[in-house]
Amino acid sequence: MEVTRDNTAHDWTRKSRQPWLLVILATSIILAALIAAGIGAVRVPIALLLGHILHGGALSEDQRIILFSIRLPRIVASLLVGAALSVSGLLFQGLFRNPLADPYVIGSSGGAVLGASISVFLLPPISLAGFSTTALLAFVGALGSITLVYWLARVDGRTPAVALLLAGFAVSTMLSYSSYFLEVMDRDFGTGMRVLASWLHGTIAQPTWPQLGIVTLMLAIGLAGSVPLARNLNTLALGEEYATHLGLSVQQTRIAVIVIGSILTAAAVALGGLISFVGLIVPHMLRMVLGPDHVRLLPATALFGALFLLVADTAARTAIAPAELPVGVLTALIGGPFFLYLLRKTKQGGLS
Amino acid sequence: MSLIEFAHVDFAYGARNVIRDLDACIFENQCIAVVGPNGAGKTTLLRLAAGTLTPACGEVSLKDRNLRLLKQREIARSVAFVPQNVEVPFSFTVEQFVEQGRTPFLKIFGGLCGADYEAMRRAMELTDTWTLRSRVFNQLSGGERQRAKIALGLAQQPQLLLLDEPMQNLDIGRQFEMIDLIELLRSEGIAIVASMHDLALIEGTFSSVWLMSPDEPMRQGSPEEILRPEVLESAFNCQPHHRYRLTNRMRNRMEHVV
Repeated sequence: MEVTRDNTAHDWTRKSRQPWLLVILATSIILAALIAAGIGAVRVPIALLLGHILHGGALSEDQRIILFSIRLPRIVASLLVGAALSVSGLLFQGLFRNPLADPYVIGSSGGAVLGASISVFLLPPISLAGFSTTALLAFVGALGSITLVYWLARVDGRTPAVALLLAGFAVSTMLSYSSYFLEVMDRDFGTGMRVLASWLHGTIAQPTWPQLGIVTLMLAIGLAGSVPLARNLNTLALGEEYATHLGLSVQQTRIAVIVIGSILTAAAVALGGLISFVGLIVPHMLRMVLGPDHVRLLPATALFGALFLLVADTAARTAIAPAELPVGVLTALIGGPFFLYLLRKTKQGGLS
Repeated sequence: MSLIEFAHVDFAYGARNVIRDLDACIFENQCIAVVGPNGAGKTTLLRLAAGTLTPACGEVSLKDRNLRLLKQREIARSVAFVPQNVEVPFSFTVEQFVEQGRTPFLKIFGGLCGADYEAMRRAMELTDTWTLRSRVFNQLSGGERQRAKIALGLAQQPQLLLLDEPMQNLDIGRQFEMIDLIELLRSEGIAIVASMHDLALIEGTFSSVWLMSPDEPMRQGSPEEILRPEVLESAFNCQPHHRYRLTNRMRNRMEHVV
């Protein structure tokens, strides 16, 4: 009988955490942010930008305003939204043991659409802590519809995954179609529709710093809450009964994932409207590189999601300048085919 | 002292009574085969012992402590249940799969420590899955998958291992390997309860047999006492004209063992 055994890193894949990927992602985010800050209708050369950051080199007043009031808030917003949507997607995919789940799977989008429609068609444009009424009502609508779905799916103190999915689908569809009545009542024919359509396709509008502060706080809470959940989701992957046997409180885990996933989704909706595909595709792409271990996926998903949406949003505001695309259009048009390509390339298919 | 004691246990799924007034004990070093026709409640009995089902009446206790009063985490540190089918939706490696057996020992923010790796390594060495650890669980063959499932159970460092149909879908060579593994685990001092369909694999390995039948109380005895045509015939509700086949099957078994 050996007395000590050498459980060194090469024996265990868990111990070799591949921090290089996180370093690469973090570096790429900084580079992408610098590039994104530089390009646009008014170009700010990167040399000038670096000079300003590193030793307070002079910028013109115009450049200063463009950087700090327009571009940087938008860069930060896209990073926050990308990270929030991706982590939320990862959590819901783990909860439903299904790689096709996304942040909107349990009905948040329907409530968000209805909330946004109420604001666009019925309310005067006012704002609170930098948030427009559209963002606020979308946020409230998202949380409200998730609460409704959860309440509907709850039977005898349990919330079966299938009931959640079905109730989510039904509630979401009902709420988003009921916004049609508001469209009909729109007196200012057409304008509201345009505003709503751009919001529905996912647009990161011009955020203010207080707004970003609030969303950063929500993202921080969501990420901190996700850390202990990641391991639970690995256990839950074995199925509800097995996970219960191993001592996991399935019901508590489920509630925690729903609460944290909803906070993250609603935060993202408040800043960027309904941005498709990011929450689905980012965890999926990383799973192809890192495998399905949620503990390992969580930090990489947050970073890659942030990077992904920053690149997409920068492309969305520069591709057809001076006009802007809703970033959701871009994530769908580029993300979709890339996703399909990856699926075909890795033979394991959609369930890997 | 018994590891698990069933005292006057009743269990029903809805209106269908599956287990009625069961009294039985599982002792250390015992190796019990649970046999009986489909729907007789073999898996239900294992789940009651694992604490994932709670009896309608009566009590199940683990070392004289009522299972109702124990947290599932505590139960899972002494009793490991290896289910018949495990569906994993993602491509977890064998190592990541076996790691889940440490769940009952982990704190909410804690990661795996040295003792966890030691338990996982031991579990994988016993089941001969150490070399499979970086393979994807879903891509394993039936026999490898069965061994990986048992490795997960052993990573719980249990005193009692509950195996639900461990021979299911194994070819004859892998069945014999599974028998070897069960004997190895027994020599490690782990009590085993396995539900079994193939009666020919029981004798020589298992110390006792529990025979469950839908309408009769459970019978306990040694393999020689239970695995007799006249006992099995009524429990399995065999047709009278199949008596010859049953006798033949059991006689072959005896010759095989001798």
